[in-house]
Amino acid sequence: MSKNIIEIHGLKKSFDKGRVRALRGVDLEIKKGEFVSIMGPSGSGKSTLLNMIGAFDRADEGTIEVAGIDLMTTKRLDKFRSQQIGFVFQLHNLIPNLSVLENVEIPMLRTKATTKEMDKRAMEILQLMNFPNLSDLVKQNPTRLSGGERQRVAIARALVNHPSIILADEPTGALDSKTTQMILDLLKDLHEKENVTLVMVTHEPDVGAQADRTVYVLDGKVKEKET
Amino acid sequence: MSFLSLIVKNPFRNRTRAVLAILGISIGIATIVALGMITDGLTASTQTTLSNGTAEITVTATGSNAFSATGGTLAENYVTNILNISGVNSTAGILRGITPAAGTVNGLEVNGINSSQINLEGIAITNGTNFADGSNQVIIGKTIAPVINKTVGSTITLFGKEFTVVGIYQSGNIVTDSLAFVSLTTLQNLTNAQGKITIVAVKIDTGANATNVANNITNAYPNQLTTTTATQEASLMDKSMSGINTASAAISVLAIVIGGIGIINVMIMSVFERTREIGVLKAVGWKSSDILIMILGESIILTLVAGVVGILLGYIGSEGLLAFFSTTGSVIKPVFTTNIVVRALVIALVVGILGGIYPAYRASRLPPTEALRYE
Ligand SMILES: Nc1ncnc2c1ncn2[C@@H]1O[C@H](COP(=O)(O)OP(=O)(O)O)[C@@H](O)[C@H]1O
Ligand SMILES: [Mg+2]
Repeated sequence: MSKNIIEIHGLKKSFDKGRVRALRGVDLEIKKGEFVSIMGPSGSGKSTLLNMIGAFDRADEGTIEVAGIDLMTTKRLDKFRSQQIGFVFQLHNLIPNLSVLENVEIPMLRTKATTKEMDKRAMEILQLMNFPNLSDLVKQNPTRLSGGERQRVAIARALVNHPSIILADEPTGALDSKTTQMILDLLKDLHEKENVTLVMVTHEPDVGAQADRTVYVLDGKVKEKET
Repeated sequence: MSFLSLIVKNPFRNRTRAVLAILGISIGIATIVALGMITDGLTASTQTTLSNGTAEITVTATGSNAFSATGGTLAENYVTNILNISGVNSTAGILRGITPAAGTVNGLEVNGINSSQINLEGIAITNGTNFADGSNQVIIGKTIAPVINKTVGSTITLFGKEFTVVGIYQSGNIVTDSLAFVSLTTLQNLTNAQGKITIVAVKIDTGANATNVANNITNAYPNQLTTTTATQEASLMDKSMSGINTASAAISVLAIVIGGIGIINVMIMSVFERTREIGVLKAVGWKSSDILIMILGESIILTLVAGVVGILLGYIGSEGLLAFFSTTGSVIKPVFTTNIVVRALVIALVVGILGGIYPAYRASRLPPTEALRYE
């Protein structure tokens, strides 16, 4: 037992029947409440690593334990994702025909929450996203929002089930520098206030530098460098 | 928002496609509903309630049958001769002739009979009076009356002679209710068939067996007379009804298959377009079964809406279709029952499940990583 919320040893993952070796023996430990940025060249395996932590896919070899759950053997990956993980994608991936509020409620839809509880929780979390006119915004479709606004809605969606870990894969990759800093400040703020562990993939050095710690992925392996 | 409201909302995201899918399936459902209404109407109108006093046996000349025989093909003395056969209670001679009449396709079938014997045909006057023997009076069946646009007091030309409609009758039998009755002697004189008839209607003794009596008659006049019993007539009707039912079942199956293929297409397209979205749903913790239920539910929503639309279209369509065939149209009344509604909705549900299950299964197998791949 350790107080590491993420513990990975010798993790390997390949695609296309072994032709593409995306992870070639990754070792990584992340403490509870830490903010870690993952950097590295394109195609080095950053997203694959994040997907393994989020249990979106099973690894081929090695050990991976997240929030005390052995992801190599557990049968209930969906339950793990629902309870432990909040994911922020590079593209917001919001559902266009649903309102902002309904988009934030999506992760709660298949839980036991009543619609009233869902509305309440979604509003609570949206209030943390620094929207100036929230009551108007929640009824709108995401198609009418700016890039930064959409990403904030996506962050609210990631947080709505009280995850212990937020995984963000280039969350600011499609935003301008001013909006980038706003989203980053928001993530840092939430990480501090809610004491969630934050793991963020980025290719922008000034974004990566704002984390407690940065790890580098090169050719499917992790190299540690303290900031 | 609830899971159900999401399922209801999703299919209408692409309005044009939803409308086209619903239209396609609803045409199939409409076909099933219209066919159901017409066959049910047909069944209802052919179900003969044998009224008391109706002849159980119809005797015709050998080589003809009770349904199609017309003209003076039998000598009138058979009417009294048959009366002597064991088991026979009473007999009536009927001469049949067909004369053109406005509103009908094949003309009006006129039956000549002695006025006192109309009860052997099971008919009862519902409006007006019976015709008098030797007169130029006619009574017409309630089914054909509106078709030829005649009522009590109207005049009508039959075999070149003007007749007065004195009564409207009812028998409970669709065939009988589509005829007209006049005095036997009048019709014999008009058609040059003095002393001739087409059929002998035979009423048997109480307790006698119709088949046995019919055999007695044919045995007494071999190669001269043919008999048809009421039960034989009924089973002939049943046979043609079951043929119609088989045909309509086959068309229904075809409609289901075509509707099912249509919905599979629409749902596969919808799933394909939403690959990333389905990945996101999985990434936020939805179970594979949640995705399966969602897509299947969307398919069922589409087909159920199509079911409702199809019931309406089928209802309107069956009325229109029958109006098109004017004569039959007024004879057969399409029957709209809850049974047809339930049947249509169950078929819609089955099409929704069959058409949705494969796309839903495919969607449920999509890996959540698809949400993160940006091509
Ligand atoms: N689902 C997949 N199927 C096949 N190849 C994949 C898949 N996901 C990633 N890869 C390959 O694995 C390697 C690492 O990809 P990725 O983790 O996305 O890199 P990064 O996020 O660092 O750019 C790349 O060569 C990529 O093409
Ligand atoms: Mg990546």
